[in-house]
Amino acid sequence: MDTAKNKEFELSGNTGASNIQLMTMALDASNSGVIITDHTQPDNPIIYCNKAFETITGYSRKEIIGHNCRFLQAQDRDQKERETLARCIAEGEECRVEIRNYRKNGDLFWNELYMAPVKNTAGEITNFIGIQNDVTWRKNAEHDLRQQKVVMEQKIKERTRALKESEAFLSSIIETVREGLLVLDPDFNVISANYHFLRTFKVSLEETLGRQLYDLGNHQWDIPKLRDLLIKILPTNNPVVDFEVEHDFPHIGRKLMLLNAYRVEFEGQFKDQILLAIEDITDRREIENRKDDFLSIASHELRTPLTTIKGYVQLLARAMPENASEKFLSTFGKVSVYVERLNTLIGELLDVSRIQTGNMELHMARFDFDTMIAEAVDGMRATVPAHNITLKGKTGASIIADESHIAQVVTNLLSNAIKYAPNSKQIEVNIANVSEYVKVSVKDFGLGMSPEDRKKVFERFYRGVEIQKKFPGMGIGLYICDQIIKNHNGTLWVESEIGKGSVFSFTLPKAGKEEHA
Amino acid sequence: MHKKKILICDDDEGIIDVLEMIMEEVGHEVITVNDSMKVQEIINKEQPDLLILDLWMPRLSGQDVLRQLRNHSDNSNLRVIVISASRDGEQIATAAGADQFIAKPFDLGNIIESVNALLN
Repeated sequence: MDTAKNKEFELSGNTGASNIQLMTMALDASNSGVIITDHTQPDNPIIYCNKAFETITGYSRKEIIGHNCRFLQAQDRDQKERETLARCIAEGEECRVEIRNYRKNGDLFWNELYMAPVKNTAGEITNFIGIQNDVTWRKNAEHDLRQQKVVMEQKIKERTRALKESEAFLSSIIETVREGLLVLDPDFNVISANYHFLRTFKVSLEETLGRQLYDLGNHQWDIPKLRDLLIKILPTNNPVVDFEVEHDFPHIGRKLMLLNAYRVEFEGQFKDQILLAIEDITDRREIENRKDDFLSIASHELRTPLTTIKGYVQLLARAMPENASEKFLSTFGKVSVYVERLNTLIGELLDVSRIQTGNMELHMARFDFDTMIAEAVDGMRATVPAHNITLKGKTGASIIADESHIAQVVTNLLSNAIKYAPNSKQIEVNIANVSEYVKVSVKDFGLGMSPEDRKKVFERFYRGVEIQKKFPGMGIGLYICDQIIKNHNGTLWVESEIGKGSVFSFTLPKAGKEEHA
Repeated sequence: MHKKKILICDDDEGIIDVLEMIMEEVGHEVITVNDSMKVQEIINKEQPDLLILDLWMPRLSGQDVLRQLRNHSDNSNLRVIVISASRDGEQIATAAGADQFIAKPFDLGNIIESVNALLN
């Protein structure tokens, strides 16, 4: 700023006031504190201060004049800005600092101090001028802002870390699962592939990412049926469930893969992505097949000595002395009964093995449903005369099914009802027409089942926890029943409550399975 | 009914024993063999009227014995009853040319009936 010409101003004009008076009034009207020090005297005392300086510092003129300005710093003497001031004073330069000062009452205020030397014609410093502004509010605002920034940065750091942790958590799961996982975009290009996928198919990330699913490997996934299913996923949210692909894959040879695919959902909204899970079930299937073989062989081998036993029993029966005692005859009769029971058990094992290999043959023929049920119930009544088995309802239906298999199911449900209701002699059988089906229900008033048992009761070799202790057996009867009914395109289910009993029901299409397949 | 010669071939001694007892009881002459490799040789030598044959045997299966008998022997018309506990026994037996199939465990009455029916 060029101030050289200020001296030449003639401010007073005709007002009567002197220039000095006007200047002093102007200084007193200022909001900035102004002081002048005399550099020619020892310790540079203040020789002038305006009103604003008094207002800002809280000191009165008489307490200010003659003092060095450092009194404003009170006990706060270690500020860096003091060095700047001392250097500028020593070297006769102007400077601007922000320094902590204290009012007379001890309150801190931030002083933005502009200090400039005044030189005489010889170039010697005679005075210093100090202009002070109280910038406490600005300093506070700046401080708050900095504080705010620190807090924000801290928060961002925390959020970022949480996000990274959850990403690491998820990715460690994705990389650890023993299932190949691919994420596909709507055009079925691979967006990501997990480690297990790469390892299973012995491929690299480079030859997988960005490529279309159907182009991978030797086009093993390019199957019309699979294409159809995948196309429906995004628009309909119909997942692909347990789709089997048997293929001669590059690098790894002939394998059986199980595919499951789902639409990726995030916070209730679906994204345009498909998660494809691929599981190698080659070994599992192999083991299942071996188990089938084992069951077949075991059944065969068990039947061989049984055949001999049965033969000897029959030979003995033929040679039975006429004077044999009652006790001997009844004991002998029991041997035959238990041989037959053993044969039935072995037969069940074979049945299971047949079901598993899909070899259960159905001999479909028309028969009178009510008669078949009545015969099965009568048969059971003869076996357990102490029980009261009631048969309610009639269908009048002539149905097409494998009669011996259905009779086997009814007998099995009845014998279960008897076996698992040791303290109840009451069993109710209900038959009815339901639309194009016949329905059979067998109700007992026995132990009942827990929800867990209800879910698993139709599984192979499953036995209820409590049941296992009280009623030893193989636990395949209901599995066979379920498979027989399923093969007829009917359903078998159970409703049960612990302590109250169970109701096993099944439905069968009257017209046979062909019409319903 | 004349006394007939019946050959029983099974790898299980118990089953041979039971069948032998019942066949002798109803008045037939019985020859037994537990090694299926020797069946053809015995047939050639003894000229039985009927063969009761098991399927699952070590060395040579009943199925192979029967096929061999039907296709490459002078006794291709020999009556054969196949007995087996195998689940596909009936199918195998019929395909190989058995006259009758009886599942194990069998009923002795059933065996006697079938034997008599085939011998008459």
